[in-house]
Amino acid sequence: MIKVTYVAQDGTATTIEAEEGTSVMQAAVSNDLDGIVGECGGSMMCATCHCYVDEAWAERTGERSSDEEEMLEGAADEVTERSRLSCQIRLQPGLDGLVVHLPEEQL
Amino acid sequence: MALAPLDESITLDQLSSDPYPIYRRLRAESPVLRVAATGRTLLTKAALTKAVKENPELFSSDDPHTPMKPAFRAHTLMRKDGQAHFVERKAISKALTPKMIKTDWGPLYEQLAEEYVARLPRGETVDLFSELCGPLAARILAHILGIPEANDEQMQRWSQVLIDGAGNFGWKPELFAASDAANDEMDALFAALEPKRRAEPDGSAYSVMLNADDPIPMSQIYSNIKIAIGGGINEPRDALATIVYGLLTNPDQLAEVRAQEAWDKAFEEGIRWVAPIQVSSRRALEDTELGGCDILKGDTVMTVQASANRDEEIYEDGENFFVFRDKNPHQAFGNGPHHCAGAHVARRTVGKIILPMLFDRFPNMTLPDPEAVIWKGFGFRGPINLPVVLN
Ligand code: HEM
Ligand code: FES
Repeated sequence: MIKVTYVAQDGTATTIEAEEGTSVMQAAVSNDLDGIVGECGGSMMCATCHCYVDEAWAERTGERSSDEEEMLEGAADEVTERSRLSCQIRLQPGLDGLVVHLPEEQL
Repeated sequence: MALAPLDESITLDQLSSDPYPIYRRLRAESPVLRVAATGRTLLTKAALTKAVKENPELFSSDDPHTPMKPAFRAHTLMRKDGQAHFVERKAISKALTPKMIKTDWGPLYEQLAEEYVARLPRGETVDLFSELCGPLAARILAHILGIPEANDEQMQRWSQVLIDGAGNFGWKPELFAASDAANDEMDALFAALEPKRRAEPDGSAYSVMLNADDPIPMSQIYSNIKIAIGGGINEPRDALATIVYGLLTNPDQLAEVRAQEAWDKAFEEGIRWVAPIQVSSRRALEDTELGGCDILKGDTVMTVQASANRDEEIYEDGENFFVFRDKNPHQAFGNGPHHCAGAHVARRTVGKIILPMLFDRFPNMTLPDPEAVIWKGFGFRGPINLPVVLN
């Protein structure tokens, strides 16, 4: 199992354990976490799974693809160089302990 | 394992007049059921409908014999899978993102809503459905799509004719004749507007698609706009009418929505309660299994999101309109790659702009006779009239 911590704008942190291969979006949605919507189920069609990868983890989560980049442009909240669509980050052992920050709004 | 049980008693008339008691029974007794009248296998539990829509490799949207093809004179993105779908979807999505809607279009929507609400007569009985919901949805959509030169009557007529054609499973020639005529009108308008939308790029869907770095073919630009016309008027119209009904028949909730300015919650609850698009179809590409029943390659399953939205496993008292639910993970916009491209548009225009404005301008709006409101539809559902007194 791999741990991910989601930090909301008010500082509340929630840690979730999920299986390897799960996406950061799926882990959040299947645990009913507020702050990640993930309407399209990870098809890169909705931009409601926006998150900001914690600085310490930015290297390890990898690059965003050009398709992800384009979809991300449409996210409701501000997009920064840390922004990712959480459905595009797959959990693997190297990401155990990952920290992501949640935007103010997804819709 | 065995095929799903076969039902030969449920009729299309029953499903169209009031499907909800039937769905409730099916969720309890047979959530996977072949319903002879529809020629499809109905899925009525939330976990099943979601699983099917999120697995496009196994459950395809492509239907080579869909009446949608002649109706739209194109194979549209709604009936494509994989990369072919993705490319076309991405092309139009850029004009419909949360950001675009909020920053670029917000003020215009506000102004249009203002105009249409201001036209309504005070102190009289008005059919809000035909006087406001339809025309305003049509006007806003015309702007989003980049065809504001089309008038409300045209937009609404084209939309209806496309929908009727797409549902023409009996292949009645007169319905395709009507959609052909509408396609001629639309094609002529799009062609006439093309130079202008190229020369003066704006954030509208037509302009965004025309001026993309790597544009999709012209035929698909046209069919994308047509899909949005077919899918972008009746649903917000029906959603608005449903929500206004829900609020006016639950005055305590209305008071609380006002106090908390929870219009967005009211929007989500309205479309959960009566999903404007009640069902969708997917075709199995392999033999598989759903809810303990065999599904054979080539079978068409119908995901009944209307029923998923009232599933007892997710909702307490799902049969009733109740705005202040803790969680509302409804499927009214679908799931998976075909998740509604206009969801953000609908949320913003109906939930954030029109609802608050309407109740602000007419704080004492009443629905004198809720019994007079007629609800209809199996595939698409909503009230077909909404006689309110505006005050
Ligand atoms: C409350 C209003 C609305 C509801 C409830 C709704 C519902 C839906 C649903 C359930 C689907 C998925 C169908 C399927 O899975 O086969 C869909 C698709 C679609 N909707 Fe909406 N819709 C609404 C408003 C709009 C608006 C305003 C637009 C246009 C701006 C729009 C454009 C589309 C398009 C283009 C698709 C096809 C997406 C694809 O196949 O990739 N919708 N809608
Ligand atoms: S879940 Fe829709 S883009 Fe990530």
